[in-house]
Amino acid sequence: MKKINVLLSTLAILTLLVAPGLVKASDFLMMATTTSTANTGLLDDLAPKFQKETGIELRWTAVGTGKALKMGQNCDVDVLMVHAPAAEQKYVDMGALKDRREVMYNDFVIIGPASDPAGVKGLPVVDALKTIAAQKAAFVSRGDNSGTNKKEISLWKVAGMAVPDKDTWYIQTGQGMLKSITVAEERDGYIMTDRGTYIKYEANKNGSPELKVLVEGDKTLFNQYSVLAVNPEKCKSAKYELATKFSEWMASPKTQKEIANFKLLGKKLFIPNAK
Amino acid sequence: MDFIANGFLHAFVLLFGGDPETYSAIFTTLAVSTVSISISLIIGAPLGFLLGYHNFRGKKFLRTFVDSMLSFPTVVIGLLVYAFLSRRGPLGEMGLLFTIPGIAIGQALLGLPIVIAMMATAVEALDQRLKNTLLTLGAAHSQILRTTLWEARYSLALAAAAAYGRIVSEIGISMMVGGNIKWHTRTITTAIALETGKGEFSMGIALGMVLMIIAFAVNFSMSGIKKRAGQ
Amino acid sequence: MSDVLYRLSNVTQCYGGKTVLDVSDFSISKGAIVGLAGHNGSGKSTMMRILAFLESPASGEIFYDGKRVDVANTDLRREVSLLTQEPYLLKRTVGRNVAYGLELRGADNIESTVRDSLNMVGLDPDLFMSRQWYELSGGEAQRVAFAARLAINPRVLLLDEPTASLDRESTLLIREAAAKVRDKCGTTLVIVSHDQSWLEEVSDVICRFSMGTIKQ
Repeated sequence: MKKINVLLSTLAILTLLVAPGLVKASDFLMMATTTSTANTGLLDDLAPKFQKETGIELRWTAVGTGKALKMGQNCDVDVLMVHAPAAEQKYVDMGALKDRREVMYNDFVIIGPASDPAGVKGLPVVDALKTIAAQKAAFVSRGDNSGTNKKEISLWKVAGMAVPDKDTWYIQTGQGMLKSITVAEERDGYIMTDRGTYIKYEANKNGSPELKVLVEGDKTLFNQYSVLAVNPEKCKSAKYELATKFSEWMASPKTQKEIANFKLLGKKLFIPNAK
Repeated sequence: MDFIANGFLHAFVLLFGGDPETYSAIFTTLAVSTVSISISLIIGAPLGFLLGYHNFRGKKFLRTFVDSMLSFPTVVIGLLVYAFLSRRGPLGEMGLLFTIPGIAIGQALLGLPIVIAMMATAVEALDQRLKNTLLTLGAAHSQILRTTLWEARYSLALAAAAAYGRIVSEIGISMMVGGNIKWHTRTITTAIALETGKGEFSMGIALGMVLMIIAFAVNFSMSGIKKRAGQ
Repeated sequence: MSDVLYRLSNVTQCYGGKTVLDVSDFSISKGAIVGLAGHNGSGKSTMMRILAFLESPASGEIFYDGKRVDVANTDLRREVSLLTQEPYLLKRTVGRNVAYGLELRGADNIESTVRDSLNMVGLDPDLFMSRQWYELSGGEAQRVAFAARLAINPRVLLLDEPTASLDRESTLLIREAAAKVRDKCGTTLVIVSHDQSWLEEVSDVICRFSMGTIKQ
C-alpha cells in the first residue's frame, strides 16, 4: 500500500509540473522551418536576440519543406521560414500563406575528389553536370526526395538532360547528406551538397577532406529562404501580428547583419538579401 | 569511430556538467513518459484484465487485434494523432499540438496495446487454482475480482516496464506531435535525431547513453519484481 | 433437527458429454469423518468440488442442512472449505494468507486466530507470520493452506489428498490437526486419500468410488 501512495503522489507532483504546459502563453510565435536552418544553429543564435528585442518567444519545429507548408495550411503554426520558392508561391496563390518576404540565401556546391577525374573544376553547373554524365564519372545522389534532392534533380533539368536513374555511374543512397558524402568519398564520386553540411564534413576531417569544392558561386546553386505568414483569414488562431513583427525583424538591417555574421565552425553560411 | 569514445566522455560532461539543454530534454522525456505510461496503465490494465478474465464471443479476434496493434509503427501513430490534434483536425480547438500532453496522448496509444496484451496474458496465465481457492475461502465475486487483480500486480509491473521501455525510446510520435521544440517538447530521442542530423554524432551517442541510464534505472528497480512474477 | 448435514439424491456430473459422477443416494451426518477411497478418475475429486459448492451438478438434488441447494451463494460457500493436493498460496505473507478468509468475513481478533491456526499445523507464528509465499517448502506451503482453512472454522472441511506429496513430518502434522479439529470444533470432515490405513484409522465411514458411483 505504501508503494501505491508513493506512486500516486509522484503522479500528482508530475501532473502539477506538466499542467503549466497546458496553459498556453500568448506571447510566443510558432514557426515551421526546414531542417537546414535548425541544424546549422542559425535559429539558436537568432531566437534569443529576437526575444530580447521584441519580447516574443520564437518556437520552431524543423521539418521537411513539404511538411512545413502543410503545417502552415493546417493552421498549426503562425509563420514559416522555408526555401522552396515555387512551392511557396502555390500556397500563397491558394491563400493559405501571405506576405512572402525573401530574407537570405545559402548555396549548394558540387564537390568531388581533389584529383577531379572528370575535370569539372570551375565550370558552370550546367557544363559540369554534362561533363560528369559524358564521362560516366561516379555521381552520388541522395535519392530521398528531400529538398536538396529536388534541387539536384532540377539542375539536371536545367542542364537539358534526362534525370539519371538506372545509370551505373549514378548512385542513389536514400540517406542523409552527411552519409551520402561518405558514400561519394568511398566511390571517388561527385556529389551536390549544401554548403553547411560541407563545412561540417570538412571540420570532421580536421580541415583536410578527400572531397573538395569544385563548382560554386553559380546563381542556379543559390537557395533562397523566405519568411511567410499564415493567412489569418484562413486561420483564426494564427498570430499574424507577431508573424509580421518577425518578418520585419528578419529583414531589418541589424538582423541582416547578424545573419551575415553567423558562422558555422568559423565559416560564414548565409548571405542576407532582404529588399 | 572515435565519436563513440567521445560520446561516452560527452555523456558524462552533459550529465555532470549540468548542461541545461540536456536536462531540459531529460525533464521533458520523464514528464511525457510518466504521463503517458500512467494513461496507458489506467486505461489498459482494467481492459487487459477484463480481456483475460472473461470469456466472451469475439475474444479471440480481440486478442489478435490487440496483438497486431503491438507492431503499429510509431510514425503512423504520430501521424494519426497529429491529424486529430492539428488546428484543422477534430480536436484542434484544444491546442494540444506541440505540447507535452499532446505527445503523451500519442505515447499512451503506443503503450496501451502492450499493457492490454501483457495484462490479458498474465491474467489468463494466473493459476486456475486461484479462483477455486478464493471461492473456498469464502470470497464473494467482487472480492475475487479484487484479489485476482492484486495477484496479477507483478505481471502488471512487468507490463508497465515493457510499455515504458517502448514509450521512452520512441521518436516518431514525439517528433510528429511534439515538433522537437527547444525548451518545450524536445525529448531525448528527438534531440538525438537532431544532433545526428547535424552530424554531431558524439552528442547523439551521449544522449543515447543518457537514455540508456534511464532505462537501466527502470529495469534495475524492476529486477526484484521480475523475479516475483514467476513465483 | 435431523443430524444429516448433506444429502445427495440422483446427482450426476458430466464433462464434455462423459458422465464422471452418478450418485443415487448419499448422506453425511453432522460431525462425521467420512473417508472416500477409490482409483484415480473414479469421481472423488468431482464429488469434493460439488460438496464444496464450487461446481453445480448436471442433474439431481443436493440438500444441505435440510435445505435444498439451488444456487450456491457466498453465505453457503462460507460454511465449507476445500483443501486440495496442491493448494494455491496468495502472493503475500504467510500471515496474510491465513488471515485472508477472516478478512473477507470482517472477523475480529484476526491476529490471534491466525496464530492459533498456525500453531495447530505445527508452524511457529513468530517464525512464519512474516515469511513470503516463495520462502516456503512444499510441506510448509501445504500446512499454511491448511491453517488458512482452519482459521475460518468451517462447518465442513473437505480434504482432497492433503498429504499425497508431502514429507513425513508435514504428513503427520496435518493428520494430527485433522483429527483434532473435529474433537475441538465438531467440524464435519470428508477426506480423500490413497492411504488406506490412515483412512481406516481416522474415518467413521469409508465409501469406495468406482467409475463415478459409490459402493458403500
